Amino acid sequence: MNETIVEARNLIKHYKDLNALDQVNLSLSANRICGLLGRNGAGKTTLMSILTAQAFATSGEALVFGANAYENEAVLSRICFIRESQKYPDDFQPQHAFRSAALFYKNWDQEFADRLAEDFQLPVKRRIKKLSRGQLSAVGVIIGLASRAELTFFDEPYLGLDAVARQLFYDRLVEDYAEHPRTIILSSHLIDEVANLLEHVVVIDRGRIIMDADAEEIRGSAVTVSGSAEKVDAFLAGRRILHRETLGSLASVTVDEALSSRERTEAQELGLELSPVSLQQLVVRKTMAGAGATGAGSGEFADDTMEARR
Amino acid sequence: MSRTLAVARMQLINKWTYIGWPLTILAASFLMSLAIFALIPVTEGKNGGGSQAPLWYFLVLGIQSMTLVFPFSQGLSISRRAFYLGTLGLFSLIALGMTVLYMLGGVLERATNGWGVYGYFFNIPWVTDGPWYSTAAFFFVLMMFMFIIGFWFATIFKRWGTTGTLVSTLGTAIALIGIAALTTVFDGWGHFGNWMAQQTPLSISGWAALLCVILAAGSYTTLRRATP
Repeated sequence: MNETIVEARNLIKHYKDLNALDQVNLSLSANRICGLLGRNGAGKTTLMSILTAQAFATSGEALVFGANAYENEAVLSRICFIRESQKYPDDFQPQHAFRSAALFYKNWDQEFADRLAEDFQLPVKRRIKKLSRGQLSAVGVIIGLASRAELTFFDEPYLGLDAVARQLFYDRLVEDYAEHPRTIILSSHLIDEVANLLEHVVVIDRGRIIMDADAEEIRGSAVTVSGSAEKVDAFLAGRRILHRETLGSLASVTVDEALSSRERTEAQELGLELSPVSLQQLVVRKTMAGAGATGAGSGEFADDTMEARR
Repeated sequence: MSRTLAVARMQLINKWTYIGWPLTILAASFLMSLAIFALIPVTEGKNGGGSQAPLWYFLVLGIQSMTLVFPFSQGLSISRRAFYLGTLGLFSLIALGMTVLYMLGGVLERATNGWGVYGYFFNIPWVTDGPWYSTAAFFFVLMMFMFIIGFWFATIFKRWGTTGTLVSTLGTAIALIGIAALTTVFDGWGHFGNWMAQQTPLSISGWAALLCVILAAGSYTTLRRATP
């Protein structure tokens, strides 16, 4: 196993009327792309802010490279965390922001930044104040990528980016990561889009970590069984059911378990249909199951999960 | 240390913010004052208040360095200490440069009898009457004061929001009124008047410098726990 690069011990962040982080324990190893997934307001940004010492925990410990990042130049110089609502100096243009980053990151690659700016069609000589939401996101994405910091956080970096630009970001990220391995923590609620990039997945919901596993483990960890309701229910009796929906006499049930090959054969003999569960569906199901039967989880997760639910 | 220096350099990447605009404001104010001096057909010395114009911009810079540059510095994982020292160092450098400019302007102004139109922009009655170092200290401290007061209020705002800013502004006002009331009750205005009359530009600079140090130290303790 790789060395541990990020560690949270019993992190609690308490705001006036809500627990933004509730007993978070987490340990992430180096040189992987890790997805930090969860709904809006689940605590993703709070967690990243505390890890990078931009914000303070109410209690608990946050260690990065084995130490607290707060006022710790040795640790801070290896981290880059451009937030989703990142602010820039009033008179700055993107080119100024890039030259600033170059002053602080020893691995900064100006040529790469220039190339990215061209890819994203970013006007580098326009005042940042005047940029569109997508162009603003592009500035953050470029700083995050070109800084090549050992630990880079991307906080929902795709806001306002069109589909082409988002794909460009994912492609450049993977390419550059292959050449310059480092630890990337990518917060997102567009799970389907990033699912293929991720090597490790952490799901946070209402301040709690509800999933923390390698992507490889998660694939195939759940399955949807559909067919006649009677047969499906009989077949799945006693299993951990994540979700159940019916249409007339037909049922489609998602279980939080993998099936053995013998069970798969059995299912086929019963005329049941087995289908894989995408990461996004799994996260949605788990989040909603965690919210209980109150239906509190029925709010929007992301626009396109509505489709996934049907 | 190198990161502290880099914080100062970072804010000079766009030359307009700290160099271009102050000079432009100074030049515009100077030329306008000169035009007005020339229009007044009096051959005695005329004084204008135009030289204070860049100071108000420094107040804005002080505010912005806290509300915008600090959050940006956090994004680049710059420690609060490095940001503070680098920014304050840059403030002093700019204040020093401007002071030198004001002093040179003052010398030229006296040598040319008020630019040939008896107009005095850099020479201010009482302030510039003393020795050169007293004048220099006054300009420098005043410029630092403007930066720091902006920085201070923005720090309060960042840390405690609108409520905190209101409370601290009102608190300051109430404290001042309280002091004024006590002075009246204890019949102290005479003493106060005497004390004021004894002050020189140099001693005023000293008091202002003391206030600067207190505010700067206060800003730092607040900044230590500020979030972007």
